[in-house]
Amino acid sequence: MSSHPHTIAVGFDGSPDARGAATWALETAALLRAHVVLVYARGLLERHRDPAREFALLVGQLVGRAGFSPLHLSWHVGDGDALSVLLRATEAPVFADLLVVGSRGRDEHAGLLLGSTSLQLAERSPVPVVIVPTGHTLD
Amino acid sequence: MTLVTHEPLDDDGHAEPGHPERPERLRAAWAGVADLSLAGELVRVAPRTATRAELTRVHAGPYLDEVGAFSYGGGGDIDGDTYATYDSWPLAQRAAGAGLAVVEELRRRGDGVGFVAPRPPGHHATRDRAMGFCLINNVAVAAAALRDEGERVLVLDWDVHHGNGTQAIFWDDPTVLYVSSHQWPLFPGSGVAAEIGGLNALDGVVNLPLPAGATGDVVRQALEEVAAPVIDAFAPTFVLVSAGFDAHRDDPLADFMLSAGDFAALARFAVALAPGPGRLAFFLEGGYDLGALRSSVRATLAAALADERPNEAPTSGGPGHDQVRRILAERRETLDLVHAELEEGR
Ligand SMILES: [Zn+2]
Repeated sequence: MSSHPHTIAVGFDGSPDARGAATWALETAALLRAHVVLVYARGLLERHRDPAREFALLVGQLVGRAGFSPLHLSWHVGDGDALSVLLRATEAPVFADLLVVGSRGRDEHAGLLLGSTSLQLAERSPVPVVIVPTGHTLD
Repeated sequence: MTLVTHEPLDDDGHAEPGHPERPERLRAAWAGVADLSLAGELVRVAPRTATRAELTRVHAGPYLDEVGAFSYGGGGDIDGDTYATYDSWPLAQRAAGAGLAVVEELRRRGDGVGFVAPRPPGHHATRDRAMGFCLINNVAVAAAALRDEGERVLVLDWDVHHGNGTQAIFWDDPTVLYVSSHQWPLFPGSGVAAEIGGLNALDGVVNLPLPAGATGDVVRQALEEVAAPVIDAFAPTFVLVSAGFDAHRDDPLADFMLSAGDFAALARFAVALAPGPGRLAFFLEGGYDLGALRSSVRATLAAALADERPNEAPTSGGPGHDQVRRILAERRETLDLVHAELEEGR
């Protein structure tokens, strides 16, 4: 791996924590001239869900605010739980060399310690992981 | 032949408004059993609660504690798909115990075919993670119990989704062979052909990822051409089927095109793999269209019991025949790669 990341994958489910993570990823990628891939884990009940369309407005706002070029932004929608989909984003076709997540996803219950995607990701990921804390803003 | 099954579980408390994994599913499955009019050829054992020792063969103790505490705390959503209520934890332990009780009865008799109708379903639950509607991996609990009795267990999973939990639990276990046909891409995203098992159990996993629209002939071809030689070489002494019926063409959660008649054919395939009577049990997994579930349970068990009454016609002509050759090639390449790496490391 080279000295700085080229492809930053950020777990994005539209939740407030994911927005914080995406903001961090976009601002960092702007500095590093890296590509950002928004990764969505599609659940068993979401076969026909299209997050790129669903979150287009929200993502447009985040990208604009971060001063990031939309040309360097893409989506990756993977089937499965968030942990597996993010781990797979380090392989083909995404080849992320940095993973960014919020501390809690949309559906995660605060009571489930073992269910914490961010902590399990930090344990298992072959590439560096950034966990952006809840409520984090850069400005 | 006798059908060895269990008293229905009291599962009404495990429900969430609007969720497709609902109590009516088991009523439909039992209606499918009743349609067979088995009378004296039906044995129902009492389900029991699986012990902690039986569950920790496949699940991490802290995971069991956590899900139990979550359930008894009133429950809620574990993820976007999976829920628990106050009643879910005792039910899940009894569902796993029902599977154990049926398998024990089959072994005691040395005869019959088993049928287990658990809720919640199991094959997505991993060692330390609830997902895909599943809390305890019922078929894995039974397979691990059999393995510890010295059996060589084949788990044949024809649910339309890949059983990522079962695969992961037995990934490196040379005494349990996991074979799965499933739609791909689809939740849970795992189950590609190159996943062939861990270093201690190469060829211990056979994945048959097939495209949306696949018909019964495609699934059978994949099983016969790719899986059958591996199963023959493994020589199972016990066969457990993760029998999900969401591969039926009427199912709302996926896009396979199977009919009840196809499940009958798959059941005959499973019967042929079992080394003798009393060595085959079907575990319900998915299946979310109640009519399809009822007719498919009936067709599956009828075929397993050698009852020749007619079913919906088997289906053919869907896409995926070419895919079977690619699966074979991908498995061979992966095996060669692993062997080359092992040689190098020597
Ligand atoms: Zn399924």
